[in-house]
Amino acid sequence: MKSLVAWILPVLAALGLLAGCGARAPRTLNVYTWADYIKPEVVQRFEKENHCKIVIDTFDSNESMYAKLKAGASGYDVITPSSYQVAIMYQQGMLLDLDHAKLPNLANVDTAYLRIAIDPAMAHSVPYMLTNTGLAVARSKVKNIQPTWAMLDRADLKGRVTMLNDMRETIGAALKFLGYSLNTTDEAQLGKARDVVIRWKKNLAKFENEQYKSGIASGEFLLSHGYSGDIVQAESENPDVTFLAPKEGLSIACDDLVILKDSKQAALAHKFINFLHDPAVAAENSVFISYLCPNSAAYAKLPAKFRDNPAVLLAPEVRAKCEVIRDLGAENAKYTKIWDQIKAAP
Amino acid sequence: MRRSLTPLVVTLAVLAFFYLPVAVLVGNSFNASRFGGEWSGFTLNWYRRLLAAPEIWHALGNTLAIALVATAGSTVLGTTAAFALDRYRSRLQDAHYLLVYAPLVIPEILLGISLLLFFVALRVQLGYPTIVVAHVTFCVSYVAMVVLGRLQDFDWALVEAAQDLGADAWTAGRRVVLPLLAPGIAAGALLAFTLSVDDFVITFFVAGPGTTTLPLRIYSMIKHGSPPLINALSTLLLTLTTTAVWLSQRLLKEAR
Repeated sequence: MKSLVAWILPVLAALGLLAGCGARAPRTLNVYTWADYIKPEVVQRFEKENHCKIVIDTFDSNESMYAKLKAGASGYDVITPSSYQVAIMYQQGMLLDLDHAKLPNLANVDTAYLRIAIDPAMAHSVPYMLTNTGLAVARSKVKNIQPTWAMLDRADLKGRVTMLNDMRETIGAALKFLGYSLNTTDEAQLGKARDVVIRWKKNLAKFENEQYKSGIASGEFLLSHGYSGDIVQAESENPDVTFLAPKEGLSIACDDLVILKDSKQAALAHKFINFLHDPAVAAENSVFISYLCPNSAAYAKLPAKFRDNPAVLLAPEVRAKCEVIRDLGAENAKYTKIWDQIKAAP
Repeated sequence: MRRSLTPLVVTLAVLAFFYLPVAVLVGNSFNASRFGGEWSGFTLNWYRRLLAAPEIWHALGNTLAIALVATAGSTVLGTTAAFALDRYRSRLQDAHYLLVYAPLVIPEILLGISLLLFFVALRVQLGYPTIVVAHVTFCVSYVAMVVLGRLQDFDWALVEAAQDLGADAWTAGRRVVLPLLAPGIAAGALLAFTLSVDDFVITFFVAGPGTTTLPLRIYSMIKHGSPPLINALSTLLLTLTTTAVWLSQRLLKEAR
């Protein structure tokens, strides 16, 4: 017994010493982002070219990241929140206005996306990665597949369909199906969308945010409303799964690159953002994450198979009908109300 | 007379309730399928991918370094707190007991955010030191409670006997008290180590740039990474913490 303790303590102490050593490079850029969101080789290249060190820390949700920074946590330079969170952080005065003279690569950013972006002038944020929310279908098991939200009405799929358990996405799908904006606050339009979702609900196995990925990959579900990033994963698991981009338009979500106002490395941060929009780098990151970096010059550098996948790059005519879900403030209550009615409907 | 089967059934049900999800996770870490919906073959691929992910090993290094320092700090503080609580009785000690006990019942998120606000108010740069201080804060209570438990069956007559035989206070402490309490202290230390390695909520708030620990990394990966890697990583982590708990219990048992 005594010998056991005598044995453990020195080992623990030695480990502590080993782990405690670690020299810091003179210039350090602290990036706070999602896990696996920047290709490691790309980061190494930037470190080498600029003789600096990039430290990457990860967060798991916009809300917790915001809570932490708002409480006063400092030291981070570049972060990648979702667009709606960027809008809130900007209102709170937490973001640095970008110096476009230091960002020549912004000329490459896809103007078709910028038209619908929340910060179209890129005054304080640069779009980094786009995802969209559409339909996944099991190709060999469903006949007459059409890229439209009307697929959710198909009686022959009854009981093997899922929709997201997400108020804005699901009501948004119905609004797009009806030809309305998915940010509408018009009660008549919302009322019609509610009736459509209630009609779809009769076809559904459930409203579901997580299990649909494995469900569609294993063939349990034939049609699922879901996020493109998840659906690409399901496609790699089972090639029979295919992403459908409904022709009526769909929702696009974007994570943006922003610099915090209290950043001590603003110049290096600008350099890093500019570097991420270098066409070759943007293409590499897109392939690594399976999302789309909205960089027009990078599209030609994407592997053809990847570029032709609508889960990654939408056709221009569909893209034109897409929208970004915006925070509606007090008007959100209208959505909550009809979502409750949808949930309560038989 | 036939023995009732009920205790056996209940025990099995409880064990299944506790450990079935863990067993599924461990099983899925060897599953070739990405989502683990169905079994599509045995693979060590996820472990191989894990080996090739330097940022995960960096996070593991952070976690272990922090846990070791926090364990050392909380063991010393917790043991001395337990001594004071056991040896002296006064109204001040009642308050002391309450304060030592409180972190066990305070919601973690409250502890995390208040520590963050405290550090920000003091203008302390967030980083390794703040995480260590935060971990010591909640680990002290656990160490103190475990050591206090040991002290309750401690026979102080042994110390008096040692002093009768000519030992001074220092020698008696070192040669009599410490060896007798060592299993309790070691058990408390291992418990503190486990808690520190596992902690997510408090660490999230007090971590600074470059100090992402393994739980923070795993949580972020759930949202934006590949699930099987998490299964593999959790299996490894589980092995580590189970070993620590098992050692801690063995030490306690040997002491009895």
